[in-house]
Amino acid sequence: MPDSTSSPPAVTVENLTKVFKSGLGKQAFVAVRDLTLTVQTGEVYGLIGPNGSGKSTTMKAILGLLSPTMGKTTIFGKSSIEVESRSDVGFLPENPYFYKHLSGLETLLFYGRLCSMSGRDLQDKAREMLALTGLEDAADRRVGGFSKGMLQRLGLAQALLHEPRLIILDEPTAGVDPAGSRKIRDLIMGFKESGITVLVTSHLLEQIQEVCDRVGIMAHGRMVREGRLDDLIAVENETELILADASPELLAEIRAIAESKGAKWIRSGHSRTTLERLFLESTEEPKS
Amino acid sequence: MKYHSFSPARIWTLAAATVTQLVRMKIMAFLVVFCVIVVAAGFAFPVMNPEQQLKLLKDVSFGALQIFSVVIAIVSTALLLPRDLEDRTLYTILSKPVPRYEYLLGKLIGVLLLIGAGLVLMDIAFSAVLWLRQSLVLAQSIAALKQEGVATPEALAQLNEFVGKQGLTWNIHLGVLAIFLKASVIAALSLMISCFASSTLFTVVISLLVTIIGHGQGLIREYFFSEGMNQIMKKLGSALLAIITPDLGVFDVLDNVINGELVSAFSAGVMVGTAAMYVTGYLLVSHLLFVEKEL
Amino acid sequence: MKRQIQALTVFLLLGAIKLPIEEAATHHLRGAKLLTKPISVSLRESLGQASFAASLGGLRSLVASITYLRAYREWENINWAKVDSLFQITTRLQPTYFNYWDEASWHMAFNAASSYLYNQDINPMLRGKLYEEHVQRGIDILKEGLLFLPDEPRLWNSLAEIYARRVHDPKKAAECYLEVFRISHNDRYSRFAGYQFAQASDRESWVKGYELLKRAYDKEQRPPSVIDELKNLEDRLNTPPQQRIPDARPKMEINHGEVGPTQ
Repeated sequence: MPDSTSSPPAVTVENLTKVFKSGLGKQAFVAVRDLTLTVQTGEVYGLIGPNGSGKSTTMKAILGLLSPTMGKTTIFGKSSIEVESRSDVGFLPENPYFYKHLSGLETLLFYGRLCSMSGRDLQDKAREMLALTGLEDAADRRVGGFSKGMLQRLGLAQALLHEPRLIILDEPTAGVDPAGSRKIRDLIMGFKESGITVLVTSHLLEQIQEVCDRVGIMAHGRMVREGRLDDLIAVENETELILADASPELLAEIRAIAESKGAKWIRSGHSRTTLERLFLESTEEPKS
Repeated sequence: MKYHSFSPARIWTLAAATVTQLVRMKIMAFLVVFCVIVVAAGFAFPVMNPEQQLKLLKDVSFGALQIFSVVIAIVSTALLLPRDLEDRTLYTILSKPVPRYEYLLGKLIGVLLLIGAGLVLMDIAFSAVLWLRQSLVLAQSIAALKQEGVATPEALAQLNEFVGKQGLTWNIHLGVLAIFLKASVIAALSLMISCFASSTLFTVVISLLVTIIGHGQGLIREYFFSEGMNQIMKKLGSALLAIITPDLGVFDVLDNVINGELVSAFSAGVMVGTAAMYVTGYLLVSHLLFVEKEL
Repeated sequence: MKRQIQALTVFLLLGAIKLPIEEAATHHLRGAKLLTKPISVSLRESLGQASFAASLGGLRSLVASITYLRAYREWENINWAKVDSLFQITTRLQPTYFNYWDEASWHMAFNAASSYLYNQDINPMLRGKLYEEHVQRGIDILKEGLLFLPDEPRLWNSLAEIYARRVHDPKKAAECYLEVFRISHNDRYSRFAGYQFAQASDRESWVKGYELLKRAYDKEQRPPSVIDELKNLEDRLNTPPQQRIPDARPKMEINHGEVGPTQ
């Protein structure tokens, strides 16, 4: 984990509680209950949990889109209530949607100007972002005709445009095909390498697994588990061993040695590829 | 990137996007309809006397201008905010360093720019037709006078004066300004309503209702201020209505401007000031409603 | 919730503060003749819901134009009662537009009155009465219009014409022409007043008529009708010969198609 003593954490959430009042006579709904979490600068933090567990509410509170009923949230030490706290954040909402009358490029220029960018710099940066997200061909097409995946990528381009130090991604892989989500995963890895802090939510556990330094699991508005991914998912008393081209004789030998030393042989067999990897291998175009 | 808590450039960006959005929604198609109405009104009813023909042209054109501006003010404003919210475009905008009041201001300015531009275009089209019609009417009338053998300089001067008063004057454009001011107040009002309304339809209906009552607010207010009132409930009711609605009648000078009454700089100032008061007030209330709105 | 209460407070406060400002603005704009007094209850009843709402919504001029067009159609149908009532609405909607008053009275005093007078289907006794009633209606309309527009020369002129041509009351006609002259300073109307006074049957009017026409004569306005009328009046008033105007008519060129000299 990078050194975090010199600068304030990228995100802090302290005792956040959010209650939604829903009209007269109806029961109030507690979306988030006394939640505390910290995302250190430079790390990739995954917030996972089932639908309705309070992930999105937490994100909105961090971004100042909702005001907390109790507790407080900060970004790089600035309270989320202050507009200025949003200078260093890029946000990709779940299923983002943009003004459909604007073209891809116009959309990026619009968001760039909102971040006080202008002129050549903005033009260049917008083109660069389109290239990064593979939308160069769609630069002059109206957003109204974009596919879901393209919208997702445009959302990402929009979030990265002003070179934020923190990127918040809400369900970035929802509704995106495996090749697309692979790409997003690669991008997140790229952010990490360039020192950008990432806060990502997902209800698809697999996808988050590979990229996150730390993970928080939410359920019913509370944090249930939190910690380093390796620590969380490691089964402490089990060990995996993967061999290639091992003969049955060799396996029998290893098993005998293991059992003679007091270990319990649980299972052996052929490694299975994941369905995802199979999908990617069979749909990938042959490199020629 | 240094952050400033108030940035005209950001507001302009939001306003420009609003204008683009509305223009690409083909709202300006109304302009074409307007031109057809004006030309039709300009050349229909040739049987009437020349002055009456010009008056009718102005009545119909300005009626269309008013309807255009009020409808656009209500509908486009009512569409904007709920739509951004429904589409979650608002999330991406407000997660940028954009204060919420700048967002509101940008939207309102966008709508006003659109209405203003529309009114200017329609004013130009209308002025052209009126000028054409006026020249034609004048020529016809002079010819008629000559044929009857009564084309004295006196009669000609009188005719010129009549047609001149009913024809194209700078004053007419001040009438268009009054229409714009009224539309600004209605747009600000709709924006305020859309800050707490739950749907576009609700905003449109309530704005329309307040607009209609607003035109009669003068009557209600005078009823409240009139002496010798003893029905306390009626008085309270009229007071409440007068308080919650704007007096849109203040901007209805057009009828008399069509009739040739002159708008002095002071009168124009009174109207601008009144409109500014409403718009500022409604924006302030909108801000209070929107600043902590849960998105 | 706190913000909503703040918003409501500001809204109501603004509402209360704005009342006197609205009152002052309305007062000023009415003074500048840019706003007209609100529509009266009786008119509201005769307008119908939709037209009333539209006329409130700043479309009064347009609604007036529409009722005017309807009156026009009723004129073509020769339905005088309907013409009158539609013009009544039209003039109430836009009382400051002189043309509505003018046309309304013209329809009554000239078109309707004559139409009744020459209608063979009606009892001759009744025809005369209807003629008089409609001429009177025309006069009433103009007088009402003059309450709104006391300085509108064209309304005074129309009133003068009704008195002169329909009622044959030259003295009243002359007074009206003098009003036109007072407002427009057009000498022509002073002469018209003179001619009308000359038509009256009393000496006092003749003196007034002579003074007016002599003034025109002295200003070198000497069309044949002025000279004829002056000579006529001098005879009737027994003016001493030395005070009379010279016998010989001054030479003047009359262009075809023009009436009277230019001023």
